[in-house]
Amino acid sequence: MPLLNVDKSNSLSEQLLEVDCLSKSFPGVRALHQVSLALKPGEVLSVIGENGAGKSTLMKILAGVQTADSGDIFIDGKKTSFDSTRAAMDHGIVLIHQELNLCDNLNVGQNIFLGREPRKFGIVNSREINQQSEEFLRRVGLSVSPKTIVGQLTIGKQQMVEIAKALSVNARVLIMDEPTSSLSSKESASLFELIESLRNQGVSIIYISHRLAEVKRLSDRVVVLRDGEYCSELVGDDITHANMVSNMVGRDVSQFYNRTIHPTGKTVLKVNKLTTPHWPKHPVSLEVKAGEIVGLAGLVGSGRTELLRSIFGIDRPLSGSLEIEGETVQIRNPKEAVDYGIALVPEDRKQHGLIIDLSVQDNIGIAGLQKHASRFGFANFKKQKSDTETMIHRLGIKTPSDRQISKFLSGGNQQKVVLGKWLSMTPKLLLLDEPTRGVDIGAKQEIYQLIEKLASESMAILFVSSELEEVIGISDRAYVMHEGQMTGELGRDELNEESIMRLATNTTEQEEAKI
Amino acid sequence: MGDRGTGLLKIAGITTLLLLLWCILIWESPLSFLTPNNLENLLRRTALYGVLGIGVAFVIISSGIDLSIGSLVCLAACLLALFLQVDYVPVGQVDVWQVRADDSTITVATEHGFQQDDKLWYYKDRRNKGLVKVVKIGETGLLNGKSVTVLTVDPPPKRDQDSKEEKPLGKISSTFDVLSYEGKKTKLDKTAPTLKHNDRILFVHESQTAREKTIDQSGADSQIILTDEDSGLNADFRAVPIRKTPYMSIPFAILSVFGIVLSLGIIHGFLITRLKMQPFVVTLCGLLIYRGLSRWLTNDQTVGFIEYQETLGKVATGRWETGIQFMPVKVDPTNDSSSWKLVWEAADGAQMFGIPYSFFIFLTIIITATIFLNLTVWGRHLQAVGRNEEAARYSGISTHRITTLAYVLCAVLTGLGGMMFAIDSNSIAPSSFGNFFELYAIAAAVLGGCSLRGGEGSILGVVVGTALMQTLYNSIVLLKIPDELEFTIIGAVILFGVAGDELTRMLAAKFRSKEV
Repeated sequence: MPLLNVDKSNSLSEQLLEVDCLSKSFPGVRALHQVSLALKPGEVLSVIGENGAGKSTLMKILAGVQTADSGDIFIDGKKTSFDSTRAAMDHGIVLIHQELNLCDNLNVGQNIFLGREPRKFGIVNSREINQQSEEFLRRVGLSVSPKTIVGQLTIGKQQMVEIAKALSVNARVLIMDEPTSSLSSKESASLFELIESLRNQGVSIIYISHRLAEVKRLSDRVVVLRDGEYCSELVGDDITHANMVSNMVGRDVSQFYNRTIHPTGKTVLKVNKLTTPHWPKHPVSLEVKAGEIVGLAGLVGSGRTELLRSIFGIDRPLSGSLEIEGETVQIRNPKEAVDYGIALVPEDRKQHGLIIDLSVQDNIGIAGLQKHASRFGFANFKKQKSDTETMIHRLGIKTPSDRQISKFLSGGNQQKVVLGKWLSMTPKLLLLDEPTRGVDIGAKQEIYQLIEKLASESMAILFVSSELEEVIGISDRAYVMHEGQMTGELGRDELNEESIMRLATNTTEQEEAKI
Repeated sequence: MGDRGTGLLKIAGITTLLLLLWCILIWESPLSFLTPNNLENLLRRTALYGVLGIGVAFVIISSGIDLSIGSLVCLAACLLALFLQVDYVPVGQVDVWQVRADDSTITVATEHGFQQDDKLWYYKDRRNKGLVKVVKIGETGLLNGKSVTVLTVDPPPKRDQDSKEEKPLGKISSTFDVLSYEGKKTKLDKTAPTLKHNDRILFVHESQTAREKTIDQSGADSQIILTDEDSGLNADFRAVPIRKTPYMSIPFAILSVFGIVLSLGIIHGFLITRLKMQPFVVTLCGLLIYRGLSRWLTNDQTVGFIEYQETLGKVATGRWETGIQFMPVKVDPTNDSSSWKLVWEAADGAQMFGIPYSFFIFLTIIITATIFLNLTVWGRHLQAVGRNEEAARYSGISTHRITTLAYVLCAVLTGLGGMMFAIDSNSIAPSSFGNFFELYAIAAAVLGGCSLRGGEGSILGVVVGTALMQTLYNSIVLLKIPDELEFTIIGAVILFGVAGDELTRMLAAKFRSKEV
């Protein structure tokens, strides 16, 4: 039932942005159904929901990336429609994507004024760009020169540049899609400060995140979407973790991390003083036993992904050795890694995890083609189909059919397809890189349960995660990395947010006390 | 793999275009288009260009490009011609290193099989040649580091001569008695080596001009039948048997060409996957290098297969007769604007319709390639690599090997196509043979639904694309469109074809998003 949360007693002019009964469908998916919401000037509205709940679609429609099948959008009470991001921008609505849209090779000023360069006699006026850019950079509190090349900035600073760019087009509504997903906690903190200062400047913000702690901290109001429909709205003290979760999932999730400890078996993976091409000066050692879930914590860019890449044979290690079940092995490419029973669920699902234009079946079957091939190299499509069906059933992949093109699935279901691909190979060692990134809370829990179950079936699991809660929740043991170095190992009893953060930022307790 | 619906839609679209063009041709120019001869030609050209199209399709599906096809066609053709080059060498001929007039000696390589009193034919050039008799076989010794024997001969040589620069002065070989000569028939002494069809006999005489004759048959009792008569010949002549010696046998030559193009494909793949060079650059260099090599190997001379009319030539011109005879004719021959009809009886002027052998080779390639691309592990891997190489690598596919495989397949099919073109045209001008063929092949593949973005395309589409290109070419000739416009028309059709394809794709996407 579509609920209109617009308070009709308010005069319409008070609302900056209003959305009335928006609907949008994709093949096999009803992405959005009769959704309505309103936004006041200077308000932070969070939109939350499981993956596939329709958040991204709603935002894309608001930002002019997609057009709605039906429904209306009002700005300042006037009915409008836009069919391009440019048109949305002209109305003051700017979307800041999860993946940033900046040109690495241009400098900060050029990026801010990209496509709208001030000109003098038809020539780009760089001085003007730099002067104006400095103003916007000051507003977002970023102290870099407009002449800095964007590629040299950290992700956090690039995001600030993106926000400065939004301000430069007089954005009144800033839509942020998972802005903290690749930020360190320090960077996140300064982003939150910026959001608060923007709110005070009268800019409205629509904030989308799976991180409920952030949502709770920032939001004036929270709108919950479920299965493409408006579900409920939370205001003030009602914005609690438990409330949000139960509204999103539609059930009580008290037992989110349900970890039982299993006896561990022999050592499956042993890494001895391995150095990766990215961090040639820091040898790293670790080991994972059968049936053990080992976390690999640290800040973004601390060398965890590089370590997994080297174990899986994507990058050749510079030195050091790997042992699989006690046997020293040379892994020169991913194929050899797969032959040794290793699987990797990469961080970048769309680029590395999946072939996004191919069907669910093609993606699940791709790793096993060679293994199940008959003589003369003929592919075994029967086996592929049955494997796919098994995985769709076992992992609860929501797809209209096994022939559905993967790009039309939601993030959580795409991740399950990647997992399905590897589980059909029955690996001994499963490497997971941010397995729940961009995945909704329901699918998250399913993934945790799956990891748990795989461990109980004595699979060795090494997973990288930037979410402390997650590392603490499901690991038997965790390693922490900082700038390419292994700064510590924590047993289950020692795992807590402080101990991990201390190692992740490589500060001693004394130093911390000083701060 | 992947979007099957769109793939079928593409083929359906281009097939419609092809049928439409056929309808136009039948409507506008039935009397030339529907002749068995014209249709056969169309089939043959489609087969030849189609092999190249399928080759490049593999590379395009792997999201690469191959610009070296035209030059590689030329190289394969030239290599085949060179490997099959034929020499006519007198049997048992040896090198002559020194001639002395005073001692009346000829110094020859030791490995001669001459006897005393043998009559030999010495040949240096047109002036210095003749029959000599061995008077004495002298000592064996060393001359300039070579083992030689000194023969005393009669009549003595006219003047002293020495070999220069390690090259023999001339050649000398045994001659045999001509027992009888009559018309085309001749009989040689029993000691003469057996000769075969297409070998030759050089008839030499002390005072008359030498004549070379080709052997048609050599029957029982060393009876030899020549291809033509010569009234000037008689039994006073002596015979120098000459054997036809090809540089390589036909199968060996073909295998060698395949071996060479295969290695070139591996080199392309290596440079692209290991040295991370761009396919465009690697194959552009190939285009230049192979063209230059072809011209150098052949001294920029036109080469061909004149000696192989009865073997390779048959394959090129041969056809399998279907038993169907027809011919389009005017209903009223006296009236220019009369309507037309098809006649089916040979008596009315109908001709046999045959399918060229090259088309059967093409069919085999089509079937094999389709099975390979769709049903084998490597074919599926190839499509995956073309869509997203990184994701394929993360899934444990040896992407380097698969990419290399695509270039190898392309090179091998280009080699095959090159040899087919070579035999078909029988005259290979190394500076122009195969020019632009890479563009024809790429155009056919793109027209047939291969996307240069990679991962998309079907063999059937490429076949229809090639057929469309060749029909276009045919219609330019038949509809009397100026030759100069050939490229313009082909270019425009490809442009419209691909634009239409993108348009249907967009419409399909829109339709799909609406339907749920």
